[in-house]
Amino acid sequence: MLAYTLRRALWAIPTVLAVITVCYLLLHLTPGGPFDTEKQLSAAVLQNLNAKYHLDEPLWRQYLRYLAALLHGDLGPSFRYNDWTVNDLIRKALPVSLGIGGISVPIACVLGIGFGTLAAVRRGSLIDHGVMVLGNVGNVVPPFVIGPVLVWVFAILLRGAHGHGWLPAGGWGDGAWQYRVLPIALLTVINMATIARVMRGSMIEVLGGNFIRTARAKGLPAHTIVLRHALKPALMPVVSLLGSVCISSITAAIVTESVFALPGLGQLIVNGAINRDYTLVLGLVVLTTVVAVLFNLLVDLAYAWLDPRIRY
Amino acid sequence: MNLKLNLTRVCSARLSATVLGALSALAVASIHAAAVAAVPANVALAAQQELTRHADIEVESLDPAHIESVMANQIGVDLFEGLTRIDAAGNVVPGVAQSWTRPAADTWVFKLRRDARWSDGQPLTAADFVYAWQRLVDPKTGSKYTILVECVKNAKAILAGKAAPAELGVRAVDPYTLEVKTETPAAFFAEVVSKADMAPVNRAAIAKYGDAWTRPGNLVGNGAYVLADWQPNNHIVLAKNDKYWDAHDVAITKVTYLPIESDETSLRMYQGGQFDFTYRIPSGLFTPLSKQFGAELKVSPVLGTYYYSINNEDPAFKDKRVRQALSMVIDRDLLTSRLTQAGEKPIYGLTVQGTKGADLYLPDWASWPMAKRVEYARNLLKEAGYSDAKPLTFTFTYNTNDLHKKVALFVTSEWRTKLGVNAKLENIEYKVMLKQRHDGKLQMSRDGWYVDYNDATSFLDLIRCNNVQNDQRYCNPKVDALIDEGNRQLDDAKRAALLTEAQALAMADTPMIPLFQYSGDRLVKSYVGGYALTNYVDQRATQDMYIIRH
Repeated sequence: MLAYTLRRALWAIPTVLAVITVCYLLLHLTPGGPFDTEKQLSAAVLQNLNAKYHLDEPLWRQYLRYLAALLHGDLGPSFRYNDWTVNDLIRKALPVSLGIGGISVPIACVLGIGFGTLAAVRRGSLIDHGVMVLGNVGNVVPPFVIGPVLVWVFAILLRGAHGHGWLPAGGWGDGAWQYRVLPIALLTVINMATIARVMRGSMIEVLGGNFIRTARAKGLPAHTIVLRHALKPALMPVVSLLGSVCISSITAAIVTESVFALPGLGQLIVNGAINRDYTLVLGLVVLTTVVAVLFNLLVDLAYAWLDPRIRY
Repeated sequence: MNLKLNLTRVCSARLSATVLGALSALAVASIHAAAVAAVPANVALAAQQELTRHADIEVESLDPAHIESVMANQIGVDLFEGLTRIDAAGNVVPGVAQSWTRPAADTWVFKLRRDARWSDGQPLTAADFVYAWQRLVDPKTGSKYTILVECVKNAKAILAGKAAPAELGVRAVDPYTLEVKTETPAAFFAEVVSKADMAPVNRAAIAKYGDAWTRPGNLVGNGAYVLADWQPNNHIVLAKNDKYWDAHDVAITKVTYLPIESDETSLRMYQGGQFDFTYRIPSGLFTPLSKQFGAELKVSPVLGTYYYSINNEDPAFKDKRVRQALSMVIDRDLLTSRLTQAGEKPIYGLTVQGTKGADLYLPDWASWPMAKRVEYARNLLKEAGYSDAKPLTFTFTYNTNDLHKKVALFVTSEWRTKLGVNAKLENIEYKVMLKQRHDGKLQMSRDGWYVDYNDATSFLDLIRCNNVQNDQRYCNPKVDALIDEGNRQLDDAKRAALLTEAQALAMADTPMIPLFQYSGDRLVKSYVGGYALTNYVDQRATQDMYIIRH
């Protein structure tokens, strides 16, 4: 297992390198550069800027320069945000995204797995229908509709004694819990809906298996059958899903961060792309790739834990 | 008490004007009464003077040498004060400079106040401006927004690496006298120096902290506020600067800017009580919001235009009759009253309401009935060689945006139904459109312009031969000659007459299709004082605002 983990970690290096290279080329091939603005810059100013950011060098040299800096942990200066480096921006944004995604994913997992299991066990009951409705609503209604509805109810309709809403409509303030409640609720609803639907389907399939029939024939109580025998194999598809759920909730919760105007990584991704902020986009790509590799590894390790037949 | 102080300062400024006028026979005195956060006598202030403002973007920088956006300039003028500043009503009033004269068409002399201080308590002198402007034009600084400083003599040569920063046309005659030579006569220069880009910067802080000098705790400014906190995409918090020379007239003690890019989110935050005023309202909600919020919705014209840029070198548009025909048949009144519906004003020329230095342009045909305009336009197209059998066909490009789409559908429908013109709509990403337009690859496209300073010349840059902003690729040497002649005038009326003539001459060629003047639509809580609708340049310093008891 240790050798496998190390091997996967080493494989991450060429993976990250390949992603950076492709992204680097795509960014430079995209029409419109970081200094194309409504008010056009004079040739002299453009030349000064190109010199400052080394854009006047051949692309391969810029690329090598970027890689050399990356090896030292330096993601470079932001092309748009002059007063901050990309490291600064990510350092400020990551805790916000982790504070939202990192909390909502475990909650969504517990609730999604719980509701999904309950719906599968009580198939056809009111609970099952309720879970299915919740799952479908969470999947079909987009977050930019659910988010504003939550805000309308809890930040505008329901008001405290001081005249302000119960909860803030947006922003992050000092990161107090009040600012986190609605974004976490939104992300949780979205993720929980997906997890519950997948869990329900998986659990129904597992419960129809021969080994479950055998367990029932042995007279084991229902909760023992579900928790001890069915839960682990039923979790396999959910675990597969978790990698992408974690990545989209932590490093790319673009819609949620936009609806609540959170200063997280999602905002940086959008602004980086719009502004052609090459270094910022690349920095976020590096981060997302590392996170993706990490979560994929964790998912693979979880497989081995869940299914004794899988060995690395 | 505030009123009394104001009167004292006004009298003092007037006295300065008299003395200076007597001393300098050549000088054209231009002394203005100092303005302060004038609180009307019958208004009671709230005990807590804290304001939360909406910023429509995360600003690119708080370093005056790197400020380029309207919002960064807005926050910048709270932190840094230039030689002049814009007061609540939009007038140019003394800032660090107590007074200024223009002894020659290309020379300005600013007399600095002796009580101006940096936020660390050190005195501020003319040398600080010299340093800041030389740093701004130094190629090594890599400033993006250099339009303002390019007014100063030799700035362009220095930016191009053909002269040393020390050769910039600015010098400290003595610690409290700054002399500026402009590249060409610039009647509007007193307003140029009110912008954050032209503010002084603290040499010691930059030397000590390098690129990190604008971080909280490092930043040393000279404005009414100091930087208390800055979390990117989260907030910028400013606290009142007790060292500011006019601190006793600054009411707001703390201002927080929240960068919210979604107008919908900012509206909800306003409704939830998190904002005291918003920078914008969501597109398409003007009417319901005006019903819901009444007087809280402030509507004031701003110095920005919405127009369609025409590539005058494109074969389809080389003939000015074609361009004029297309412009004539657009019902701008219908467009602004029924479609955009957000307080915009129809325009037919380059300049807009509130622009200094030239009169508005209104062609004769603007008052004709639409049927007559259509008939005239059809004849123009016919003369240019187009007919129903051979219709004018071209591609119109706009960037992805609901408003641009709505306007494009309306305008192209006007052309199709009234002239039989076939305009194909193309929708592309913003930066791609900018690049293609700058490269002359677009036939016609959606465009907009906000002035850099309140003067007609900032609009006229759009049509001057070989000007970098002239995406229209229009060139009429007679127009340029009139503008140059106007700029040489020391008499404002003569200058305005010449610039008005230049605009009329250019617009007779229809180098572009102006549609409407933008409106600054904002939600402002009723307890926020100091928000004037006449501030066309839309530079609203927090020091001019106050919170009314509520």
